[in-house]
Amino acid sequence: MAEVKLRGVKKSFDEVEVIHGVDLEIKDQEFVVFVGPSGCGKSTLLRMIAGLEDITAGEIYIGDTYVNDLHPADRGAAMVFQSYALYPHMSVRENIGFGLKLNKVPKAEIQRKVDEAAKILKIEELLDRRPAQLSGGQRQRVAIGRTIVREPSVFLFDEPLSNLDAALRVQMRMELEKLHANLNTTMIYVTHDQVEAMTMADRIFILNDGYVEQVGTPLELYRRPANIFVAGFIGSPKMNFLSVKVLEINGQQITLQLPGEDQMQLHRENINFRVGDILTLGIRPEHFELEQSKECFLSATVDMIERLGNETYIYANDASDNLLTVVGDGELDVSSKEKIKIHFTTDHCHLFGRDDQSIQ
Amino acid sequence: MKPKQNQHPLKYSIYSLIAVVAAMIFFFPIYWAFSTSLRNPLDTFTVSGFGIPFLNFEPTLTNWVDQLATEEARKAVYNSTVIAVFASILALALGIPAAYALARFRFKTISNKDLTIWFLSQRVLPPVATVVPFYLIMQFLNLLDTQLALILINATFVLPFVVVIVRQTFLDLPIELEEAAFMDGARNYGAFLRVALPLAAPAIAATGLIMFAFTWNEFLFAITLSSKEVITIPIHMAGAVDTRGVQFWFMAVRAMIAMIPPVLIALLAQRYIVQGLTLGAVKG
Repeated sequence: MAEVKLRGVKKSFDEVEVIHGVDLEIKDQEFVVFVGPSGCGKSTLLRMIAGLEDITAGEIYIGDTYVNDLHPADRGAAMVFQSYALYPHMSVRENIGFGLKLNKVPKAEIQRKVDEAAKILKIEELLDRRPAQLSGGQRQRVAIGRTIVREPSVFLFDEPLSNLDAALRVQMRMELEKLHANLNTTMIYVTHDQVEAMTMADRIFILNDGYVEQVGTPLELYRRPANIFVAGFIGSPKMNFLSVKVLEINGQQITLQLPGEDQMQLHRENINFRVGDILTLGIRPEHFELEQSKECFLSATVDMIERLGNETYIYANDASDNLLTVVGDGELDVSSKEKIKIHFTTDHCHLFGRDDQSIQ
Repeated sequence: MKPKQNQHPLKYSIYSLIAVVAAMIFFFPIYWAFSTSLRNPLDTFTVSGFGIPFLNFEPTLTNWVDQLATEEARKAVYNSTVIAVFASILALALGIPAAYALARFRFKTISNKDLTIWFLSQRVLPPVATVVPFYLIMQFLNLLDTQLALILINATFVLPFVVVIVRQTFLDLPIELEEAAFMDGARNYGAFLRVALPLAAPAIAATGLIMFAFTWNEFLFAITLSSKEVITIPIHMAGAVDTRGVQFWFMAVRAMIAMIPPVLIALLAQRYIVQGLTLGAVKG
């Protein structure tokens, strides 16, 4: 059990800098998720903590130990790889016990620990098989078993569920959460899947282009995204963004011109813009409604409808030809090419300045 | 061999026929040597038909008995075996760590690519150009006409192949497996010995076999560096030419003897060579 600290960590491959000075602190026993689009540097960051990548600049601490120059074997971390990386020439039992064998743990002790891990992961009957004889989900369990027996101070997961089918992914997700609850160990989990991030994390670190964009609990990120990137990344379907013009500023009350004829008023404390500026308004699809009950509305023409049973996705073009997404209930009575009015309240509006940062 | 499911029977028959004919063309010289080895020397050129034993001529083991009875033939088999086995082992022992280092570590002063090409460039020079220097070196070391001289030289000449082929094998192994070993607490040596090496074993066995065949067939250095004691099989074969011309009946027996060990080893090791051990290591 340990906390993990990164101070000004940078990484360059040849001349190209891919991680630009990351500072972060992960508390003991915390379940932290690094999330971001492909190529944002999340896996590189994890591999740097593991010791599998060199650090170009900065410092990494696991617990109180400065680990920059330590071999991966000495860092007390265990890792589950995206490809599982099971040793194909060893049985499941040997795979799980390999780390213990390297550390010269007595045979009886290895046997006991492997059996215990197999019991937790429900793979007792697979212990004598080879990895090639296992399904994807079973391999995943073996890979996790291999990390459990080492009793590491930090667990590292590199997109461990991305090779599983949807149903299995949901199941493994819940099992990982249970595992975290049982083991009470620091876990760092990398994924590009925001659903995984939202459901599992105590805290999420959102990465983009080698920078940490925002850190917070899942709901903090959903409710108060710090910038357009985070707003667009968290939430599914994606947040709608509209260009709006500032018509009037009256103290902390601002009037905005929506696409089409309607105007709206918002209350903001940090006024760092002027009349005439073009800002970005963000509204989540689930906060749009078709019933005529809300303060503001947008006129739009339905382009396409996706019915998922429990809910309906409506894609519609507004007066400025922006594509808007609306999430409604499954029975929603709407048809293609229909003219609709999309209603929303100011409480659910996010306003972003010209620097893409949120205006509070 | 079973026909593939969606293949037309006629197409399959034609392909099979072509394969059989091609195989007959390639195997005919070997068959002819075998047939010749069983003939009375007088029948060598006069045999009728396809030289089928019992049908076209009365086979005899005289040539085999005469050949195997000679001290020279037994010595040649012994020398060739010792030299080929130890030269291959030496080349593998030196080449595998070099190959692993080239595949997994990044060298700074001289790049990995340049080092690999440097290894390979050892084979660009025609071996005959190095005969005189090697002769002088061996003379200086007092190693002329010894097995050790030929073991050292053959190992030197096959080493680049070992490095280049085995390096590729290591490159083809998923690096996550060794990284997983690191995370499990292994150092570089542990990851190499317990993970990379066992997984590369089939390819290494195949490489060793090819190196054995190379060394077994080596002629140039065997004839220049040895005179009396360390006669190898290729030299022994060439010895079937004497003042009366080529003694085809002896030549045939010697060719058979030269062929049997490598073919036998290849057949025995086939299972390991074909086996793809990495199956199931990473996602299916």
